[in-house]
Amino acid sequence: MKIDYSLITRRTFLNTLFGGWLVALCSGSAYALLKFAFPTLGKEPDFVVLNTKDFMNIPPNSVKPFAWGGKVGLFFKNANGTSTALKGVCTHMECNITYKPEDKKFYCACHKGWFDENGKNIEGPPPKPLEFFDFKIEGEKLIVAKKGIKVELPKA
Amino acid sequence: MNCQRLKNWVEERYDVEEIKDFAKKKLVPTHKYEIWYYTGGITLFLFVIQFITGMILSFYYVPHFEHAYKSIIEIVTKLNMGWFFRSLHHWGAQLAIVFLFIHVWSTLLLKSYRKPREFLWFSGFMLLGISIFFGLSGYLLLWDERAFAAVKVATGGAGNLPVIGNFIKAFLRGGIDVTGETLIRFYAFHVSILPLATLFLIGLHILLVQYHGMSVPLSLEKKAHKEIPFFPNLFYKDLIIWLIILGIVVTLATLVPPEIGKKADPLAPAPENIKPEWYFLFLFQTLKLFPGEILGLNGEMIAIILISCGILFFFLIPFFDKKSNRGEKSPLFTWIGIIYFLYFVIMTVFGFVS
Amino acid sequence: MKRFIITITLMLIHATNLLAQQEKVDVFPAVSYDRFIIFQTLAIFWIGIIGLIIIIKIKLKEIERIQKMGINKEEKDIPLLD
Repeated sequence: MKIDYSLITRRTFLNTLFGGWLVALCSGSAYALLKFAFPTLGKEPDFVVLNTKDFMNIPPNSVKPFAWGGKVGLFFKNANGTSTALKGVCTHMECNITYKPEDKKFYCACHKGWFDENGKNIEGPPPKPLEFFDFKIEGEKLIVAKKGIKVELPKA
Repeated sequence: MNCQRLKNWVEERYDVEEIKDFAKKKLVPTHKYEIWYYTGGITLFLFVIQFITGMILSFYYVPHFEHAYKSIIEIVTKLNMGWFFRSLHHWGAQLAIVFLFIHVWSTLLLKSYRKPREFLWFSGFMLLGISIFFGLSGYLLLWDERAFAAVKVATGGAGNLPVIGNFIKAFLRGGIDVTGETLIRFYAFHVSILPLATLFLIGLHILLVQYHGMSVPLSLEKKAHKEIPFFPNLFYKDLIIWLIILGIVVTLATLVPPEIGKKADPLAPAPENIKPEWYFLFLFQTLKLFPGEILGLNGEMIAIILISCGILFFFLIPFFDKKSNRGEKSPLFTWIGIIYFLYFVIMTVFGFVS
Repeated sequence: MKRFIITITLMLIHATNLLAQQEKVDVFPAVSYDRFIIFQTLAIFWIGIIGLIIIIKIKLKEIERIQKMGINKEEKDIPLLD
């Protein structure tokens, strides 16, 4: 079927074309700008390599911090002399926690959250227990890795 | 000195008489609540101080995470009057936020947001938000322990918003953690993005005030009230108040210069007893109220959602308050305003004490 | 007497606090001579402000007096003496 007269006037067609084109161009440019403004996110590391000497000899019932990407990791030796490594970041608001040797607990000063030796959240606002890491010693190297991650060191 | 030639030069090009007439014709109502009219002017004046001191501070500040802290110490200890202007910038900001809050609450309780001034309310509210973000970003620039932890909590809190939370968090931090990237980002916000937005919004805000005229409280709207010319009567009164405020800011800046804490260290534990700036205390305290888990859901997320809803309601109050839009009294919204106010004050005081 | 002792002990506790916070950054000039000049300048500044406020008040009164008399409205059609 052929209609003699178009249902859309030339003016509406042009206005829609102009508006649509403008919107497309602007949103394309805005997308590019936002892409640039938004950072490329790094990732939390799967493992870090530390120096064994620095960490294995810490006294019992104490911690020593190390860099876990941009965050802090804690190497922890409890009163029995067993060592573990954990992420030293409170699960509530990501403040750095500290170890209180006299209470044998981890403490977050930001909102008064407490964790016990095994990282369980026992008091205050933290919703989850602390994250623990695996570690193994290869001579000079102390490798701290996320649980369940297979570490393959590049051969030097 | 009369400068007749200069006057003629200007008058040949611009209709000076018209501008003078406009200034003379602008009338401002005078009544028993008129004191609240001055809070806006005071805030404007404090913003001017902030702009000027900020410009000079930016000559010396180095926005890099290794040098930022040291550069501020140099400003404070080595430069001529550096300690004073940093302190002035600090106290100007504190007082600006105090007066912003007073301004907002006087507007809320006198219902000046009602029809036709909704856009005045919105632009003012945005200015309040920007000012608080000014405070947060300026605070991180110091790069000391307290600022570092506070910014971590504040940006992390935004991350608890559903759906867009992580996007906002990463955008603010410039990465997954608060690092040197965050410092540069906040510097950019503090010295270029926010000031430009502020200038634009203040311009709009003042333009709208000129367009609508001053709002008269509902209870007095129908009664006859006197009006006085803005220029010169009110202008001189404004000037007197500005001078007093200038005196107070300068005195505070001299007698109570703000402390500088230890340099921020991403590996150090959060310092004991840290508290955010006072205008964040009510949020901080609200977060503390919520347990980690409510009915199996994440407590923080619920807290953040509730806070966001509260703020959104506050923002949209002109649309909810139908009665005052019709020019009737609306005691319900007076009560809502009082509840918001009391919540803010009580939580802030609790935050200080605990 | 009891109150006196309590205040003294409180002051001492505060003093120990001051000692404990080491490595504080001097946010205020430490030399007493500088401090004297600063306080002096502050006082002069306040005198300046108060003086200006008084002048403005007088000016305001004058303006209001004229407005009451109703002679502030200039007539447009006054013939000028040129």
